[in-house]
Amino acid sequence: MLEPFQLPFVQRGLIEVLLLAVPAGLLGTWIVLRGLAFFSHAVGTATFPGLVLADGLGFAAPLGAFGAAVAFSTGATALRGRRSGQDAVVALVLVACLAAGVILASDVFGSGANVETLLFGSLLLVDRADLLLAAAAAAATLLANLLIGQHWLRAGFDPTLAGSTGPSQRIFDAVLLGLVALATVAALTVVGALLVAALFVVPAITARLLTERLLSWQLLSVGLVALEGTVGLWLSVKTNAPPGATIACVAGATFALVAMVRGLAGGVAVA
Amino acid sequence: MRSEALIEASGLAVGYDGEAAISAVDFSLAPGERMALLGPNGGGKTTLLRALLGELRPLAGQLRVGARCATVPQTERSQLDYPVSALDVAAMGALSRLPWWRRPGRRERAVASEALHKVGLGDLAQETFGKLSGGQRQRVLIARSLVQDAQILLLDEPFSGLDRPSSEGLEALVDSLAAERRGVMIATHDLEQARRWDSVLCLNRTQVAAGPPEEVLDLAVLEATYGGAIVELPGSDSRAILPPHHH
Repeated sequence: MLEPFQLPFVQRGLIEVLLLAVPAGLLGTWIVLRGLAFFSHAVGTATFPGLVLADGLGFAAPLGAFGAAVAFSTGATALRGRRSGQDAVVALVLVACLAAGVILASDVFGSGANVETLLFGSLLLVDRADLLLAAAAAAATLLANLLIGQHWLRAGFDPTLAGSTGPSQRIFDAVLLGLVALATVAALTVVGALLVAALFVVPAITARLLTERLLSWQLLSVGLVALEGTVGLWLSVKTNAPPGATIACVAGATFALVAMVRGLAGGVAVA
Repeated sequence: MRSEALIEASGLAVGYDGEAAISAVDFSLAPGERMALLGPNGGGKTTLLRALLGELRPLAGQLRVGARCATVPQTERSQLDYPVSALDVAAMGALSRLPWWRRPGRRERAVASEALHKVGLGDLAQETFGKLSGGQRQRVLIARSLVQDAQILLLDEPFSGLDRPSSEGLEALVDSLAAERRGVMIATHDLEQARRWDSVLCLNRTQVAAGPPEEVLDLAVLEATYGGAIVELPGSDSRAILPPHHH
């Protein structure tokens, strides 16, 4: 039953997923608390044109993806100050990125079959550089969580509280968005641009159903990402489906199951 | 008295994008003073509170805030689902005084616990914030401002939605904070409550009146403050202010 994990490329994928569990689980809780679920989905999708460019021009994929993610975050943040609603602006930039990616892939570079890999991930492509990037994202997220997590918590709880609106809070929030972009880029190879939210958002929402405190929520989220990622990888090898999609299915099914059990036990609350 | 005032404003105008939302505001708040902030929604109460917190700069006039100021906002719906205890929320008050990389530690949590005892919630320190009643949540937020060591407390409609016992308990807490020589400014729609405090400040995009309630609160001032929203209660001398959604 466990024979897929004896294959070297699956082992690399497993290490990748376990490393990603740290940033995905920790950031997932902040993404839910700070209302960034749509943003995190959009930043993943926004990397698509960057990935197509990198693939077509032959430079490192993470570089293209990170460039696109930073451009997206900066663009969305700059436009957010205008009158349009925050979600509307994110949706606007998201559509533009997806359209640009599709046009680049179909008409400029003729990327063909690569598009599916870019959108939904591939186990076969995980290499040492991906593992290093995932480890870096894990370390950076852990450090930021320890040092400035209290400011993310306070600003989310009470955005109008003095100190939550000062210049330093803007820096802390920019760090949070930057980390979401970094961790998204690190997760792209395995889960792909379209399904990054499966790793960041769904496990965190599931874990939230089971706990009332931040620390236990974060620990549970990290554990759930690791567990769902591992099961998803196994299923991906068994069914020959893209890993992003199988992880998303496992995460979704877990959420539905937990929500149902919680609902039966009385009361469901999602932050 | 004036020289030791916690807040002094003269000819103050505050607003957004260079346009004044309130103007010609003149008042002072002394230590131990309970001041009611009266006015319709959109009359500039929140704008004034934001100016006192330093979030908005005066467009004209003078504003001197001579002590640490803390706000006690209304509970947002999103906060009810927040994964924090009453103690966690009270301890957030310590953040502004800690270096940015420090979390509230044992010492800060002890101070927060003490503040919760002071507001009568010592036994509920570990309860999830969202599971507390409306009055208890207001008390937790007051405890947070005590942890901030604020000498000036700005309460934004703290009595909205509270039942009578909670409301009376909270009013007694306001009295005890004032007895410690803290200045307390309370945005409210309750005229009878405002009459029990030391002073009132009536705002309707400009200052209508300021001073002791027995001198200031007459029908002309109330009508200028609230427009036509004042009704005489049948069979009594009392007047009521219709909430804005009844307009």
